[in-house]
Amino acid sequence: MTYVLFTLSVLLVMGFVGFSSKPSPIYGGLALIVSGVVGCMIILNYGGAYLGLVMFLIYLGGMMVVFGYTAAMAIEEYPETWGSGFEVFGCFLVGLMMEVGLVLWVLEFDEVVVVVSLNDMGNWVVFEGEGLELVRGDSIGAGALYDYGRWLVVVAGWTLFVGVYIVIEITRGN
Amino acid sequence: MTPTYINIILAFTISLLGILIYRSHLIASLLCLEGIIISLFIITALIASNAHSPLINIIPIIILVFAACEAAVGLALLISISNTYGLDHINNLSLLQC
Repeated sequence: MTYVLFTLSVLLVMGFVGFSSKPSPIYGGLALIVSGVVGCMIILNYGGAYLGLVMFLIYLGGMMVVFGYTAAMAIEEYPETWGSGFEVFGCFLVGLMMEVGLVLWVLEFDEVVVVVSLNDMGNWVVFEGEGLELVRGDSIGAGALYDYGRWLVVVAGWTLFVGVYIVIEITRGN
Repeated sequence: MTPTYINIILAFTISLLGILIYRSHLIASLLCLEGIIISLFIITALIASNAHSPLINIIPIIILVFAACEAAVGLALLISISNTYGLDHINNLSLLQC
């Protein structure tokens, strides 16, 4: 299917419109999770298997769970969904219409040319040493964080530590 | 620019509008902030794959690290507001203190 990547990006925009039209935060979190899944599939289609897995595990499995718990704390009794009231539904509809207009514009003015596109990061085959080895480009690149970017690791680790301390100080209250 | 890039930058812009225009809940703006982080992650991951350069893959990982920090601080502020006022409605925020 030639258009699978474009369809996934259209679904991504629709998911983003879904939580940007500000329903109740529980439904916004649901739309964000769906958008995260679609975004992970876009990254997978471009050949970045490691980064797609990182997004699933760390982003959806870590941060969205925290968001879900916090939204459950700050929720009201009758959460409004996309179908209740004209504001949320109107914003959602305007966003969808805009995206449909973009799809029609792309399909009409951009001609469909099937190009052999090497947009895959791909595997790097190593011929040196005993036998044949295989190296994934994206995971090796992320591992270079600890080699070329060792000062960045120190700064990021210190930032995380200070962030935890700041969170403790804020939630301690007065 | 390929249509996929156009759609992802459009997603970023829609989330940006979602942060700047708020309705009643503060956590909805934090959700749109998470949407911005997701779109930045996707764009940098695609640039890394398209340019066939493995070293660019560092940038999405670092984006996730600092996004976790800012989400944690934003949620801590939300919790302290919710502890003071009961709900996180924005029209509760009249004083310059939590």
